[in-house]
Amino acid sequence: MKYFYTFLFLLFTFLLTSCSEQEKPELIMVTNATFPPYEYVQNGRIDGIDPCIIKRIADRLGYQLKIQDMSFDSVIAAVQSGKAHVAASGITVTEERKKQVAFSIPYVIAKQVIIVPENSPIKNSTELKGKRIGVQHGTTGDLYVTEKIQNPERFTHGPLAVAALIAAKLDAVVVDSEPAEVYISQRKNLKILDEPLTYEEYAFAINRKNKELLDKFNRELQSMQKSGELKNIIDEYKSRHSANAADNKVESDTFFGKLGASFRINFIKENRYQYLLKGFFNTIHITFFSLILGIVIGFGVAIVRSTADLTGKMKLADFFCRIYLTVIRGTPVVVQLLIIYFVIFRSIDVDKIFVAIIAFGINSGAYVAEIIRSGIMSIDKGQMEAGRSLGLSYFQTMNQIILPQAFKNVLPALGNEFIVLLKETSVAGYIALDDLTKGGDIIRSQTYDAFLPLAAVALIYLIVVVCLSKLLGLLEKRLNKNE
Amino acid sequence: MSEVIFEIRNIVKKFKKLTALDNVSTTIKSGEVVFIVGPSGSGKSTFLRCLNLLETPTSGEIIFAGKNVTGHEIGLNKFRRQVGMVFQHFNLFPNLSILKNITLAPVKTHRMSRKEANEKAFELLKRIGLYDKKDSYPSQLSGGQKQRIAIVRALAMNPDVLLFDEPTSALDPEMVGEVLSLMKELAAEGMTMVVVTHEIGFAAEVADRIIFMDQGRIIADGTPEEVIENSSNQRVKEFFSKVL
Ligand SMILES: Nc1ncnc2c1ncn2[C@@H]1O[C@H](COP(=O)(O)OP(=O)(O)O)[C@@H](O)[C@H]1O
Ligand SMILES: [Mg+2]
Repeated sequence: MKYFYTFLFLLFTFLLTSCSEQEKPELIMVTNATFPPYEYVQNGRIDGIDPCIIKRIADRLGYQLKIQDMSFDSVIAAVQSGKAHVAASGITVTEERKKQVAFSIPYVIAKQVIIVPENSPIKNSTELKGKRIGVQHGTTGDLYVTEKIQNPERFTHGPLAVAALIAAKLDAVVVDSEPAEVYISQRKNLKILDEPLTYEEYAFAINRKNKELLDKFNRELQSMQKSGELKNIIDEYKSRHSANAADNKVESDTFFGKLGASFRINFIKENRYQYLLKGFFNTIHITFFSLILGIVIGFGVAIVRSTADLTGKMKLADFFCRIYLTVIRGTPVVVQLLIIYFVIFRSIDVDKIFVAIIAFGINSGAYVAEIIRSGIMSIDKGQMEAGRSLGLSYFQTMNQIILPQAFKNVLPALGNEFIVLLKETSVAGYIALDDLTKGGDIIRSQTYDAFLPLAAVALIYLIVVVCLSKLLGLLEKRLNKNE
Repeated sequence: MSEVIFEIRNIVKKFKKLTALDNVSTTIKSGEVVFIVGPSGSGKSTFLRCLNLLETPTSGEIIFAGKNVTGHEIGLNKFRRQVGMVFQHFNLFPNLSILKNITLAPVKTHRMSRKEANEKAFELLKRIGLYDKKDSYPSQLSGGQKQRIAIVRALAMNPDVLLFDEPTSALDPEMVGEVLSLMKELAAEGMTMVVVTHEIGFAAEVADRIIFMDQGRIIADGTPEEVIENSSNQRVKEFFSKVL
């Protein structure tokens, strides 16, 4: 089966690329190749419905096509600014966008459909109001339901919403018709209502000043529509895509057979385990360096704070440290991460891992500081007096006498903070960083299976935490040997 | 007549409203062994702690070896290296071995090289018979051993004066003797000592001078016989009649 598709794919690519390429004017197309089957990267090449259609049009118009991949936010701007001739990226026609660019005639009409259980009393969209409706966050379905019906329950992934529907936590799910077909092909007892909730039109965006190109595009699209070529292309890519998705379907009757098949699909197929592996390394990388940053900040702040408490000096530094502690401990780490990424580093192009290390390090530093400070304050003040009476300076006594004892006393609390930190890095996905949790999410979004990827992610965290606890236990034992 | 090492002029120490020391003046000569006695809360510890500036006097002056230490004529840390202190609760460093407890300050303050400091520590440990404990940790010692190590730790800095704040009050009775006999030895060797204690018998035996404090003031100052037996002050008489 698999070979058949590969063969088909090769044949297709051959057909697409076989036309001879002479000295022709360039046509630059921009897209965001993360939206299969419309556009995606396969074997290092951008392929999909949009690239295919544009390629055919370009060939007929005598252009040489050049495709550029960029973020979805930027494709319209690229056309508007004249950097590209056409944006083809599954772009929905909206009034807002019409003000910025000109749209071709639509080449696809996408439906938002309603999935309900087989025996659901809901028969059409008018009966949705007041029911528990699930959507995928940020999709057209989400926008539509929010605007026209009510506030829906928003899930990060369509399959999660479907899982909630199966678990009877929802009455209906609104999603794109294509993934909807895939979801219900995998589950019994679910159906798609005949009447879609809403339509949206996909069209190509062209610079408003380039009337000539727009006319040419529309002419070609019309003729492709008439000849049925357009439908063929779309059907071909869609069937390839859903065949791909159907490949992920588990077909076995025994429990272990199912588990084994599911394991292969989630981890072995297409080397999906690499998402977890890469995520794991990123998570460890971020945790390790933010730990170090947190300890450095924590010790610094703790010393300033307790020096102010013990001697009444460093009042100004103490004031700033208090503000730092209040702000950091008074706000969620996700919000801090988002602020640091989107506000502080907004106009600077930095590595996301670096941003995460800074954010989690600063966050952890506040907790480490208070833990260490409590450790310092718990040391009998006779220790400082003894050090000072021997002629040692305040900081010498701090370094040699107080901090080592404080550190040992608070080691269990610090260990706990490190475990919390490790687990807190799981929100790194908010800035599109591929950490361990996100790795599981990616697999889930490809295989539409919630159980195994989540179980694997949980297991990996658990193993790391258990190892970390063991290591800390050993360290504690070592430190306790003296005394 | 030996030289004056400490000259205390009119020191006052206030804790918020409470006046712990009320205009105290006295002098301590080199080689002198001065005991400070008096009822609880009379300011003995506060006075002793002012001598090495663990407490900063609210007003008044302390002249040490001709230099005004309250006027910062000499750096605080440098001054303290010449004045050792022994605490009621020993205050050994539990995170360091006995040897490190003794050598930390001499090495860190660059008074001695590590080698010199170790040799000095070994010599002192041998003298008090605790050489075999050099690699132990404070928690492995008895109270009497701890206090003798604390004394040795102070001695390792070669101080000019040793201050003791109730060095035997936290000890079990059978361990008091070993600490007192070490102190007696030091006194006999000519060490300048200022000792706060409730061991009146010991004070009578070892002291060159006894200072009696009450309510933040010195109300009697003289030889043991003068203060313990022949004081005309009613409060002093009362105190000794109770404790003796
Ligand atoms: N750090 C301090 N803060 C406030 N009051 C203190 C402090 N140290 C001592 N005092 C008070 O000063 C007075 C003298 O105390 P202290 O010198 O310890 O007396 P003694 O050692 O003779 O028992 C007491 O009333 C005591 O409560
Ligand atoms: Mg006292």
